[in-house]
Amino acid sequence: MKNAIEISHLTKSYGKNRGVIDVTLNIKEGDIFGFLGPNGAGKSTTIRSILGFLKFDSGNIKVLGMDSVKDHVNILKNVGYMPSEAWFYNSMKVAEAIKYAADVRGLDCGEEAEKLCKRLKLDTNKRIKELSLGNRKKVSIVCAMQHKPKLFIFDEPTSGLDPLIQKKFFELINEYVSDGATCLLSTHVLSEVNKYCKNAAIMREGRLALLDSPDIDDDTFLKFYYDEEDL
Amino acid sequence: MRNVYLKEMKMNLKALLIWSLTVGLMGLCCILLYKSMQGDMKNMADAFSNMGAFSDAFGMSTLSIATLKGYFATEVGTVHSLGSAMFAAIVAINIISGEEEGHTGEFLYSLPVSRKSVLSAKALSVLSMTAAFTVICGILYALGFAFMNEELPVKEFMLFMGCQFVMNLEIGAVCFWISSISGKNRMGLGIGIALIAYLFDIIGRVVPDLKDCLFVGPFSYANASEILSGQDIRTAGLIVAVVVTVLGIVAAYYFYDRRDLAA
Repeated sequence: MKNAIEISHLTKSYGKNRGVIDVTLNIKEGDIFGFLGPNGAGKSTTIRSILGFLKFDSGNIKVLGMDSVKDHVNILKNVGYMPSEAWFYNSMKVAEAIKYAADVRGLDCGEEAEKLCKRLKLDTNKRIKELSLGNRKKVSIVCAMQHKPKLFIFDEPTSGLDPLIQKKFFELINEYVSDGATCLLSTHVLSEVNKYCKNAAIMREGRLALLDSPDIDDDTFLKFYYDEEDL
Repeated sequence: MRNVYLKEMKMNLKALLIWSLTVGLMGLCCILLYKSMQGDMKNMADAFSNMGAFSDAFGMSTLSIATLKGYFATEVGTVHSLGSAMFAAIVAINIISGEEEGHTGEFLYSLPVSRKSVLSAKALSVLSMTAAFTVICGILYALGFAFMNEELPVKEFMLFMGCQFVMNLEIGAVCFWISSISGKNRMGLGIGIALIAYLFDIIGRVVPDLKDCLFVGPFSYANASEILSGQDIRTAGLIVAVVVTVLGIVAAYYFYDRRDLAA
């Protein structure tokens, strides 16, 4: 099985502040990979480096066999990303935001978008500024999934979603993954990783620790959240 | 790039209409008021044209405000210069940083479009909006001349509006560069740049020692009184404008392509 994501010795700092240090990580195609860690551990920095939002200091990243710097645009054609904060242009209607995302991709995703909106019970006639966080997250899910990408990257996707929509969200992920997609799931919710992920890693203070199995207990999990002085 | 451009135009359409109609209608009203002020203007014109540096600064020594052309140059010219400069500054200074300020950057940049394409679409939308602003105001001013049954000095008028457009682009390019390196809305700074540039021009025309430095400012070559009285355009000022505009845009591409994008 090929790697969907290959991160090799990634280091990124923000001036004097630490971002991530020497992160090496491979995620196989078809995997649902859990990415855990406390706030500020470096999960988002890693994700944002993969997507080309950040200019990293050293290391290299390959996504779907392409170099993250040189083939940035081609990579994004095959990626569906859902950021932790789902922000869109406030003046747009939901339908306009979804269509805009498809139009920029140069694709007609109308059928898939309609199916997703129906399953997530998303009212496409409302304006973005009228939506709650949960509903904005639904828009973000549709924008990330409507073009049926090869790779999904979700950054804390379930915060703000009600339990029923969370269940539907994971059903959708499983469907796309069973069709050949790969999923990187960054989350604080251990139960999601235990239940849905095949492999997992935890970040702490900018460094990565791979887990033998995503099926870990609460105590082991929480150890990564304590400060060194707490231990 | 096309979709990003169209989205920018759509999102800024309201601001474009509000600013262009406000400035254009103010100019139109000024022109229409000319008739009721015509009698008083004749008495004031001589006094205003003999106020030394003050008359020079506001162009009243070269054109008589007792004529519609002179009145247009001194009154509407000032309104349009300030209004258009502020509009260009506001649009350009927020067009890139607004994505980060409004947290929409992650949505936009997760789509398969390069930073260069985003910047090109945004630069093109600033250019289009500035051009549309100039055209809308120009039509309203021309209508004012028509309502007054006065002949529009077409050549000088077109030259004035063209120079104003170039001045808007120069200010817009500086603000566009600032927008590319800032993750926050800097509208106050944009307006400040437009006003300081205007103030520099006024001071430069009043203080004799500064007259040689006038060409540095963007208002030097776009002065209504000079253009409408048929004086030559300040070529040095235009050359500086082209250099500043190109540098502003190139710097925006250079820095934006190398920086981290905020969430």
